Amino acid sequence: MTQKNNLYQELYSLMIFSRILDKTIGAHDGHWHGLEGEEAIVAGVYHGLRQTDILAPHYRGSPVAAYAKGADLRRMIAGLFSKSTGYNAGRHRGDICAPAQFNLIGLYTGSLGPPLGYATGAALAVKLDGRDDVAVAVFGDGASSRGDCHEAMNLASVQKLPIVFVCQNNQFAISTPAAHGVSGSIAARGAGFGMPGIAVDGNDVLAVHSAMQAAIAKARKGEGPTLIEAQTYRVAGHFYSDSEDYRAQAEIDHWRKKDPLDHFRKHLITHQFFTKAELETIDNDIEQNITSAFEQALKDPAPNVDQLSEEYVYAGELK
Amino acid sequence: MTRRTFQQACVDAIAEEMRHNQDVFIMGEDIGAFGGPLKSTDGLWEEFGSQGRVIDMPISEGTIVGAAIGAALQGKRPIVDLMFLEFLGLVMQQLLDSGAMHYYSAGHMRVPVVIRAKYGVGPFPGHAYDLHSWAANVPGIKIVAPSTPRDAKAMMISAIRDDNPVLFLEHMALYHAGKEDITEDLPVVPIGKANIIRQGNDLTIIGAGLMVNRAKQAAKKLAQLGIESDVIDLRTIIPLDKETVITSVKKTGRVIILSEAVRAGNSAHEIASLLADHAFNWLKAPIKLISSPTIPVPFHRDLEKAFIPNVDDIVETACSLLDNNADNKGILAYER
Repeated sequence: MTQKNNLYQELYSLMIFSRILDKTIGAHDGHWHGLEGEEAIVAGVYHGLRQTDILAPHYRGSPVAAYAKGADLRRMIAGLFSKSTGYNAGRHRGDICAPAQFNLIGLYTGSLGPPLGYATGAALAVKLDGRDDVAVAVFGDGASSRGDCHEAMNLASVQKLPIVFVCQNNQFAISTPAAHGVSGSIAARGAGFGMPGIAVDGNDVLAVHSAMQAAIAKARKGEGPTLIEAQTYRVAGHFYSDSEDYRAQAEIDHWRKKDPLDHFRKHLITHQFFTKAELETIDNDIEQNITSAFEQALKDPAPNVDQLSEEYVYAGELK
Repeated sequence: MTRRTFQQACVDAIAEEMRHNQDVFIMGEDIGAFGGPLKSTDGLWEEFGSQGRVIDMPISEGTIVGAAIGAALQGKRPIVDLMFLEFLGLVMQQLLDSGAMHYYSAGHMRVPVVIRAKYGVGPFPGHAYDLHSWAANVPGIKIVAPSTPRDAKAMMISAIRDDNPVLFLEHMALYHAGKEDITEDLPVVPIGKANIIRQGNDLTIIGAGLMVNRAKQAAKKLAQLGIESDVIDLRTIIPLDKETVITSVKKTGRVIILSEAVRAGNSAHEIASLLADHAFNWLKAPIKLISSPTIPVPFHRDLEKAFIPNVDDIVETACSLLDNNADNKGILAYER
């Protein structure tokens, strides 16, 4: 298999993983933040990061980031149900707070914005220690309005930090359309902070991946931050049980026709990287893995109330 | 041995820690060539600036603390100079997150960050707010408020070596106020350990920061009236040294808790509640809290002065506690 085939298989696998996980969890949990339509961004951005690279993912796609960084599937899914076997031991919701063991930064108290500062600080540590790792901070069009976002970009650029800012612009902040929340172009803000601001088609996994790889390479060389705005549309509701009466069905249907997974699948078959049957084998394998991890996670025990001990709050001296 | 002010002692501690631990660095607004607000980082730029370990920051308090947290998660030991505690509101979300990380990550994350903040009614105009009680409501945060140069140095070292977020309070009235001898072999002052600085059997007076000075002066006056006090310098506000406080109040049966913060939601209520729970049967008089009134900190010097608890307030309250007690009829009433 060629190098290209390898990469394409990995990107495709992440996308189909995201789609199947979404359907599996969404069918079970009405509060699951669906990812339909945004798979090209999560695959293109989260593919190929090192264990030592730091990643603050968007909450929508955080489990895919955890999987891409090497988290165990069953423990990751157990975390979605706050089971004791999850990485957070049931103390926090795993859907927005990915395991720290893989240098992932979550939403510890559910507030958007501060993780951009944490990722910026991680990049500062990388620079101070002379490492060639990078930090990646992903946020939505909604969080692009936070002062935290502007502060982080300014600070990262002033200090020339190895960080890539990615705006997963799906045009909705819960129910608020970008037209009501975002003035001007997000990518264009890069210039204001003295860094490149690049807009890419967020439904084209290869475009997202290639922009991301260039930004990461630049950061690893110590040449400073980049802002990438990946433009897409949130075909899914804010969560699975969202009544979505704030937008027109015709708009959703229009974007569903541009499905990034269908688009990439067709590309792979048309250009003979893979046959339809080969892709179906990948689909089936991933579905099987997810189903078995899901069923196991559901059976896993809930956390015991002894998790409420105040002894767990402070870090003690390292033994 | 050197004689150092509170401010110099803080800087000495940071410089020493930076010398023998490359992971320690400091970031904040105007901490570069300017030397920090009120000279809080005096000399650090000259010694460590070229190593990139004294980092001048844009006016972005939330992200400064956020970046410190992110760096701490990568194994660094950042110190943030927040300038004034008045800016606490700008960093509350980051504080909340940082306090939660160790617990939420099932013990995997450690956030060794020190946040220095100047506060308190003192010789400088403005920025006086004592807002520490806000942070006392945040699980996972430690709050220290030393009252002497020696403790300031020892506790700054303890704070830098602690693996949790520590809010380090530097009272502006103590900052340049007086010097203390500090020896090379300065004893360790662990976070969470109060100091009994005067002993007596009639009354316990509890405070931190500037309030310790007020308590000491009041105790001297009270001694002239025949009232002997235990004076407890809390040093650490969170986590509270419950044992020292309870043991003292069980012995004296009377307690005055001092706080420069406003009364509403004051962290000192926690001490009152603790004593009501654990020392009730030993109490000979009601638990008293003397705090600032629940109004915004005023600006005129006379108003500021009257705003925070003073020595006369303490003496008067102490006498009322002793008067109320039939067993202590022999003690003179304090005459105003």
